[in-house]
Amino acid sequence: MGEFGLRRGRADLRSAGPITFGPAGILFLADNVAAKVFAVDVADPGPVGGSEPFDLEDVDARVGSFLGCEPGDVVIKDMAVHPLTHSVYLSVQRGHGEAAQPVLVRIGRLEGAVADVPLEDVPLAEVAIGDAPAEDDERLDITLPLGEEGEELQVGERKIRILRQPIRTSTVTDMAYVDGVLLVAGLSNEEFSSRLRRIPFPFRDKAAGSSLEIFHVSHGKWETAAPIRAFVPYDGGASILASYTCTPVVHFPLADLTHGGKAVGRTVAELGAVNQPLDMVSFVQEGQEYLLVANSAHGLVKIACRDIDGQLPLTEPKEPVGVPRETKDLQGIRRLAHLNGSHVLVLQCDDAGRQHLRSLKTASL
Amino acid sequence: MTEVSWSRSGGADCIRLTGLRGGADVQIRPGTAAAAGGRPPMAGRLVRDGAGLCFVPRFAFLDGTAYTVTVDGVAAAVLIRTRPDRPATTEVTAIRPTAAEVPCNLLRLYVWFSAPMSEGYAAQHIRLAGDSGEVIAGALLPGEHELWDASRRRLTLLLDPARIKRGLASHRDAGYPLRSGEPFRLVVDRGFPDARGVPLRAGAEQRYQVGGEERRHVDPGNWMLTVPAAGTSEPVQVAFGRPLDHGLLARCLQVTGPGGRPVGGTVRIGPQERSWQLVPGQVWEPGPHQLIAEPILEDLAGNSVSRVFDRDLTSPEDQPRQARPVTLPFHPR
Repeated sequence: MGEFGLRRGRADLRSAGPITFGPAGILFLADNVAAKVFAVDVADPGPVGGSEPFDLEDVDARVGSFLGCEPGDVVIKDMAVHPLTHSVYLSVQRGHGEAAQPVLVRIGRLEGAVADVPLEDVPLAEVAIGDAPAEDDERLDITLPLGEEGEELQVGERKIRILRQPIRTSTVTDMAYVDGVLLVAGLSNEEFSSRLRRIPFPFRDKAAGSSLEIFHVSHGKWETAAPIRAFVPYDGGASILASYTCTPVVHFPLADLTHGGKAVGRTVAELGAVNQPLDMVSFVQEGQEYLLVANSAHGLVKIACRDIDGQLPLTEPKEPVGVPRETKDLQGIRRLAHLNGSHVLVLQCDDAGRQHLRSLKTASL
Repeated sequence: MTEVSWSRSGGADCIRLTGLRGGADVQIRPGTAAAAGGRPPMAGRLVRDGAGLCFVPRFAFLDGTAYTVTVDGVAAAVLIRTRPDRPATTEVTAIRPTAAEVPCNLLRLYVWFSAPMSEGYAAQHIRLAGDSGEVIAGALLPGEHELWDASRRRLTLLLDPARIKRGLASHRDAGYPLRSGEPFRLVVDRGFPDARGVPLRAGAEQRYQVGGEERRHVDPGNWMLTVPAAGTSEPVQVAFGRPLDHGLLARCLQVTGPGGRPVGGTVRIGPQERSWQLVPGQVWEPGPHQLIAEPILEDLAGNSVSRVFDRDLTSPEDQPRQARPVTLPFHPR
């Protein structure tokens, strides 16, 4: 793992966030509380996966049982599939508030066995992703810690211990690895911006890469920037399809990201009112590449990549808007991942709030 | 006869079992259903401790959770981890903006709490409501991603930007989340759990009047500067003519003195976030000073110094402005 700059150590994970696989079975884990991304060699022990489906009912209850908590105390933040073994990795927050604990869970494809992935004494690297504070931003939220955290201050005759934490934070909403670069989309808790960060991997510096503001034009008239909620590279990593908190689906070539400054994407579709994109994945069906978008309000949306490439920018505010898309009658899908050449794995929440892992056959999607 | 009880072993919480036959298969599962439908047992290890056997969990027992102990597949006991009875002490300390009237394209609100909060409950416990108490559905951006500061004491709430942006299907179909002339309240329920899982001491709310659209750049050229006298510690004050975003205001303004040296002191954000002042740590020097505004400084509707929230490509006023800080020169009198 030396070639990727990993050193044995402990991933001091403070929160569970988005995860995605990079090269050679290295998993990237975003930690929004620590404002870091970890790259961890997960040393998956499983055999090489085939093309069979994988389904697991009540995955939240099973994970909870292993972690010793009720399903309500299991928050599945993200899902990724190991590219070789097809084991399922879940980024889980166990418990809430001060009892909350981040856990990386692995589910074996063969028996559905649940295990936690060790994060101590493993090959790893880390990079800081906190918004570099502006030079004049000294604002810190000062609290009184319970333990030994923080720094000691003399107040009159008393010594008190205080903890200074930044008020301005950036929350990673999605990540993808393309050809030596980790792309990170985030949401600021202050300014409204659309920044996509490029972090070269192996991580070279402690501070993280460059970032770029991506604008998009709606209906030829309105140009805006907005936080990217989910995105997916396709066409061998040459293109990115991003979907926004305000639901336009925007295409831009990856090459545009390397120039720095401002990029303007092409709005190719809208996902509809009072709706939020949740996740995206690409898959191949009869030699053609397609994208699936999971939404909060609609079924799974399927879009053909060739339609995106041929779609002119949306110029008329009329319905239907944008690329042809099919809406699959599959509700409650929160996360998507490529399982194998024949299946897409989904994390689906049913009407009773129970969560399940299900395989969708790409040939019949 | 097997006895099962909460205990401690090696400095850790455990479940102690006594009177077990040798080689018994002990499993612990959360919940009260012994069968638990093929769910895996709780991770942990069994250690011999005195006359008994202790189950030490890999992940700490959670307060408020019941644990079922099975021995050789038969339920032997259900132990409940009681939640300590702790008083409600956390409260909402501020809701911002504090302006009495907000534009109908209001983008962002902040709620400050006196102590760290639990993540994952905002959608359940915070809402916008009309005067008669009805919830304004779909107004706040639903999100798995709650926007907290690092210590979990300030929560940022966004109104659904898709309904604010012109030209988008959401805006056309559903319109603004807020309506001009129809007051609303931001309501924080008492049930919002703090980081200890304890509800707030009291709920909180803030009422707003709703005005028209705000679509203009934040323009430092129109600000009113009150210049202090040299040799005094009077504040330098700036009035914006409209409320600005509290979070950004606290970090996007800076004063420099002769030679570009930053002037330190105490910053105060004025009533309704309409003004800002700096009381210098030392008396004002004579000579050229500057108030510097960062281009990302936004108003309540997400318009900043450098760009409007959504730009009408046909409107010359909407052209983006320089992405560099804007400086307002002044000389202490």
